[in-house]
Amino acid sequence: MKGRHRVIVKNNKLHYEFEIKRNITIIKGDSATGKTTLINMIRQFANMGNSSGIDVICDVPCRVLEGIDWKLILQNISGNIVFIDEENAFIRSEEFASAIQKSDNYFVIITRENLYNLPYSVEEIYGLYSSGKYQNTRRVYQQMYRIYSGMDRLSVQPEKIVVEDSNSGYEFFKFVADENDMECESAGGKTKLYSVLKEKQGEVCVIADGAAIGAEMEKLYGLAQENVNVKLYLPESFEWIILKSGLIASKEIEKILEEPENYIDSREYFSWERYFTHLLIQLTEGTYFKYQKSRLNPVYLHEKNKKQIVDGMEGVKLGK
Amino acid sequence: MLNIYLGDMPEAIYHPPTYFDNTYEDEWITNSLSVKMIKDVDKSDVIGTHLIESPILGPISPKELSGGVKTLMLMAFDENERVFNASACGDNCSKWILQIGEAKELTINLRHIMNFGKDAFEAKILNTGQTVHNMKEFVEIAGEYV
Repeated sequence: MKGRHRVIVKNNKLHYEFEIKRNITIIKGDSATGKTTLINMIRQFANMGNSSGIDVICDVPCRVLEGIDWKLILQNISGNIVFIDEENAFIRSEEFASAIQKSDNYFVIITRENLYNLPYSVEEIYGLYSSGKYQNTRRVYQQMYRIYSGMDRLSVQPEKIVVEDSNSGYEFFKFVADENDMECESAGGKTKLYSVLKEKQGEVCVIADGAAIGAEMEKLYGLAQENVNVKLYLPESFEWIILKSGLIASKEIEKILEEPENYIDSREYFSWERYFTHLLIQLTEGTYFKYQKSRLNPVYLHEKNKKQIVDGMEGVKLGK
Repeated sequence: MLNIYLGDMPEAIYHPPTYFDNTYEDEWITNSLSVKMIKDVDKSDVIGTHLIESPILGPISPKELSGGVKTLMLMAFDENERVFNASACGDNCSKWILQIGEAKELTINLRHIMNFGKDAFEAKILNTGQTVHNMKEFVEIAGEYV
């Protein structure tokens, strides 16, 4: 499944409206914001259609996945937006992660737990809030807000960098850091970021793949909230930074980066950073910029190229 | 005293709202603590044991209360020494968990990092035996388990 899908769910008292654009979306947040009511309305509409008194407006079917037969149901649906409420403990299982990996459905999961088996984006973790009455009706208008929205307003000139990556991304940032007398350390994977960060003193900037960091966000954000010296820079991925910098000449890139959801098929890519890696490798194949994930092509470290990549990192100033 | 077990706890009630629907007692609803919690978290008024007035949904039954407030009532009134998954509660329930934990020996299971606010609080982390006094201390331990 690809694309951005607007979902409207309404009855005579409530009007939910939001957009879903990645294979995994998480809804969490305060109690009594209408999460379970949303699930109940979608279930009733899926079971009874218009005779439920509920309207669900979307260009693809919306349905609820629950209960012990979830695997059977999942095997038999395609092109749906699938909503799952927090009572379904299977969302934490490897079996579930494996079942949705090549799925042609999008999943909206209501849970406050961190789902370490799933690579979801920091941008797709939402809460629900009421924003008043809907257009002169008695309906309460329920919208989604991004829980970690503050990441967009980063402004940091760090003394130390901790990079999630241990391959090309780390090689790049280590080179830049060495040039500027900064420390740069690889955490050796996103799951180790928290432990590495806890031991750090001074201003530290974490550079990690936002496209798949979702499950780690609660603890990283908690640490950043309690420690002003910890800053989080979470682009989609290192390859996305390169693509966005304009270094690779291609008319296609700008168009793709504007609306990646129209190009990334959930059946092929479990999370977006895998697509951006594939895209960069594909676009640079046979060229001077030939990119490999495992080892950085030194051409990316040439002064002009390096500067173009670093300058494209909004909110982060590396070096003097 | 509030005791917190972080992470997977097989013996805990994983989805307290369902447990509440099948075990709650009518008198819990009109208890003064419940009335305050329902007003604060769900913004709703308790009319009687079987009726609550919601500003959005109108008249509702106790079974239509939020999962958070149902879990709080179980923590306050259940007498079966059950441990409830407090990750069914949003951060807007945390002050009530602290309050219930001040009045009795309360053990909860947390599977996420709940925000207990900026003020000092006291909770014993059963995984390590340590007592935490603020969010900074709590986050440092909780981050290792959830």
